[in-house]
Amino acid sequence: MRIKRKMVPKARIPTASMSDIAFLLIIFFMTVTVFRKAKGLPVQIPFAKTTERILKQRDLAHIWISKDGKVSVDDNIVSPKKVTLIFRTKIAENPSLITSIKADKDVPYRYVHEVMEALREANALRVVFATKRGG
Amino acid sequence: MALFRKVQLEEEAEIPTASMADIAFLLIIFFMTTTNFAREKGLKFVLPEKKDQPQEIKIKSENLLKISINDRGEVFLNDEEVRWENVEREVRLRLEKNPNLIILIRTHRDAPYDYMIRAFDAVKAAGGKRVGLGIIGGEG
Repeated sequence: MRIKRKMVPKARIPTASMSDIAFLLIIFFMTVTVFRKAKGLPVQIPFAKTTERILKQRDLAHIWISKDGKVSVDDNIVSPKKVTLIFRTKIAENPSLITSIKADKDVPYRYVHEVMEALREANALRVVFATKRGG
Repeated sequence: MALFRKVQLEEEAEIPTASMADIAFLLIIFFMTTTNFAREKGLKFVLPEKKDQPQEIKIKSENLLKISINDRGEVFLNDEEVRWENVEREVRLRLEKNPNLIILIRTHRDAPYDYMIRAFDAVKAAGGKRVGLGIIGGEG
């Protein structure tokens, strides 16, 4: 007498290529990651219709100007004179530096003007006024 | 007899790869959490160079458009007051008449920064390429 035995196929998930996929993703995230250097100040940046995207994130340096006129670079509150000093070294390290000015929309214009003059003094001429799309 | 015992079972060399994926995913999670896709946005501008001896450049007054913003947030185009909504259209009209127009945005020292951005945005939207920024009311 023959006993019919059913052959139950074993369920198997091929995991050999799993690590390849994973490493591919790692490489992607490693290349796109730009670590944040500074936290900055709480500011409400203004809206603008013609806002452009800045693609060269690695060349960006940030300056925050709060509502009461405090200026922050790399998480230090600095004076406009210090801004010149800091940006002189920054521009020496990376001549294609772009400075992103994140100023509060209600800050009196003279504070922004002071910072821009300090940047001119340091020869850091390429700036971006941080804005949000809309308006 | 001793001859037979010498035959050794050759072990296959194996690298355990089962946990490789786990390590990889751990790293992925680390990079995913630290990545910030905060896309930077803004209005580009190139500041004028600072020279030791400021040279005077004469610009004909018909080639210059002054946009002035006072501390109350009122805006003037060459000394005539305009409404904020009309700035872009006015600038565009003037640019059509004279493509060589240089636009100078002068903001009062106590005026909120937002107004300067509004004027700058309007000029950009109108297609103005040659823009200067100035301040009213002195330095410091």
